[in-house]
Amino acid sequence: MEKIQLKHTLPNVFMARADIHSDIWLQEVEFEKDKLYLVEANSGTGKSSLCSFIYGYRQDYQGEILFDEQSTRNFSVKQWVDIRKKHFSLLWQELRMFPELTAMENVEIKNKLTGMMGFQKKKTIVEWFEQLGIADKMDSKMGKMSFGQQQRVALIRSLCQPFDFIFVDEPISHLDDTNSEIMGRLLTAEAKRQGAGIIATSIGKHIELNYDKVFRL
Amino acid sequence: MKLVWKLLRQHISIPQFLGFFFANLVGVVIILLGVQFYNDIQAVYNGEDSFMKADYLIVNKKIGAMNTIAGKSNAFTDGEIDEFKSQGFVEKLGAFTPSSFDVRASFNIEGFTNFSTDMFFESVPDEFVDVASDEWKYDEGSTDIPIILPKNYLDLYNFGYAQGKGLPKLSEGILGAMKLKVRIAGNGKQGDFDGKIVGFSSRLNTILVPESFMQWANKEYSNGISSKEPTRLIMEVDNPTDDAITSYLQDNNYETDEDKLDASKTTFMLRVIVSIVMAIGLVISILSFYILMLSVFLLVQKNSSKLENLLLIGYSPAKVSMPYQALTVGLNVLVLILALVILFAVRSIYLGMFESFFPDLVAPSVLPSIIVGVVLLIVVSIFNIIAVHNKVMSIWKRKD
Repeated sequence: MEKIQLKHTLPNVFMARADIHSDIWLQEVEFEKDKLYLVEANSGTGKSSLCSFIYGYRQDYQGEILFDEQSTRNFSVKQWVDIRKKHFSLLWQELRMFPELTAMENVEIKNKLTGMMGFQKKKTIVEWFEQLGIADKMDSKMGKMSFGQQQRVALIRSLCQPFDFIFVDEPISHLDDTNSEIMGRLLTAEAKRQGAGIIATSIGKHIELNYDKVFRL
Repeated sequence: MKLVWKLLRQHISIPQFLGFFFANLVGVVIILLGVQFYNDIQAVYNGEDSFMKADYLIVNKKIGAMNTIAGKSNAFTDGEIDEFKSQGFVEKLGAFTPSSFDVRASFNIEGFTNFSTDMFFESVPDEFVDVASDEWKYDEGSTDIPIILPKNYLDLYNFGYAQGKGLPKLSEGILGAMKLKVRIAGNGKQGDFDGKIVGFSSRLNTILVPESFMQWANKEYSNGISSKEPTRLIMEVDNPTDDAITSYLQDNNYETDEDKLDASKTTFMLRVIVSIVMAIGLVISILSFYILMLSVFLLVQKNSSKLENLLLIGYSPAKVSMPYQALTVGLNVLVLILALVILFAVRSIYLGMFESFFPDLVAPSVLPSIIVGVVLLIVVSIFNIIAVHNKVMSIWKRKD
């Protein structure tokens, strides 16, 4: 997939509002593969909604979202599954990890989805754990880890699939600057390797990357 | 998939599934046992006569002294047959066709005796004769004729004739292997045939040959004397307990063998009882199916956030549904296997009891109950699979 277009998109809940001043809502916006975007927002401006509209698990919006000129309104279940498996990766603000599984299992359950042996090599995954300083937590239950640690595991998981675009929804909300910097490095390296675009969101502290464009939501 | 299962098996309630398992087991065992028992008991009732089903009745006109004196025929006219056919209780009606030629049969038991006797043939439409169709047929030009003899004949020989003369007793099996020499004469022609006894009937007091042979022989050897009108009718009724049958027969001065009507009534009642029992089994099964569906729904509900997350990270609804579908189908298969084991165990007990009453009993096949079980399994499993899939799809669509 080469580009994502938003045409006059607006969440249904904002319809009653008259004063929408946004770089994204009700505008024509284009995200291209291979570029870095930052979406800055205040709380309650629909940042997570944006992610869920593009990722196809909410449809309560007006206007259109197009992938490579094709409207996503009537995408089939199969198409969305394919997109989530091979084209989009999303690091949720609320992480969506499985507390019953260990950190490694949480990564594996995604990694094994594409490719029998896994999309990323086990060695690479272990290296990422080490770089992010949570190598000792690999076999700990997710539920027993702090949010900041979970955030780092979630990043690793989001890198364990092929993608054209990766969305990171407030990825560093619970991280110190050192870890944020490491995270940014891993993210850009993998995106570059895959030739993918990055779309990051933040409500203040944002991950430091060389953004091509910054939107105000 | 191992990790997915590790996730999704959370919150599985063993007691709930055990509850379903045993409830469904009871239901399926009752249904299968009903089917099997009915088949087996049917075999007991029909066992004494494997050529005629118990619910066939043979009807003839009463022969009174007045009829003979008045020279009144005891044959059924076409009008009477048509009227009979139009009665509501009649499912099928067929006429006995008598032979209009001379038959002489001889029978040779090597070194012992040589019977020879005049006799007659009759035929009924083939659909009323329950013999494999390749045995019960006559090909024109062939000299082989299949024959069904009344069981009384064998008894007369074994307990009367052979006893008195010190001749060997004959079983049905030995006779079946022997040939009856049949000479047919009439219309200035005669022909020799080999009669092959395919069985003995205790229901029919006549010597039965295939209808195709009868038609051919009547055409070929008929001397044109005897009437073509049948004197006996054979019929199948839908409900032998129907009072209309008895009153119609009485009103028209027809008669049928009462005890056969009784036997028919017994099998009919048996069928009703077995149907009720099976219906109860079915209700239990349906209720247990609800237990299963409720537990699965509860499980899906409890694990809905996990299911949702799996769907969001790229697992397809089919892949996410699979573990629960496999779980329910697996349980159903287990229930069926155990139910069949129980069925065979129970059956061997009651068959043992039957055998002491009816030593000749050939137990019928268990295939019908296995088929019923498998059909039940498939239907229930399809419902399970669809229900789980719909439930997962509702999570996909975020309806809950």
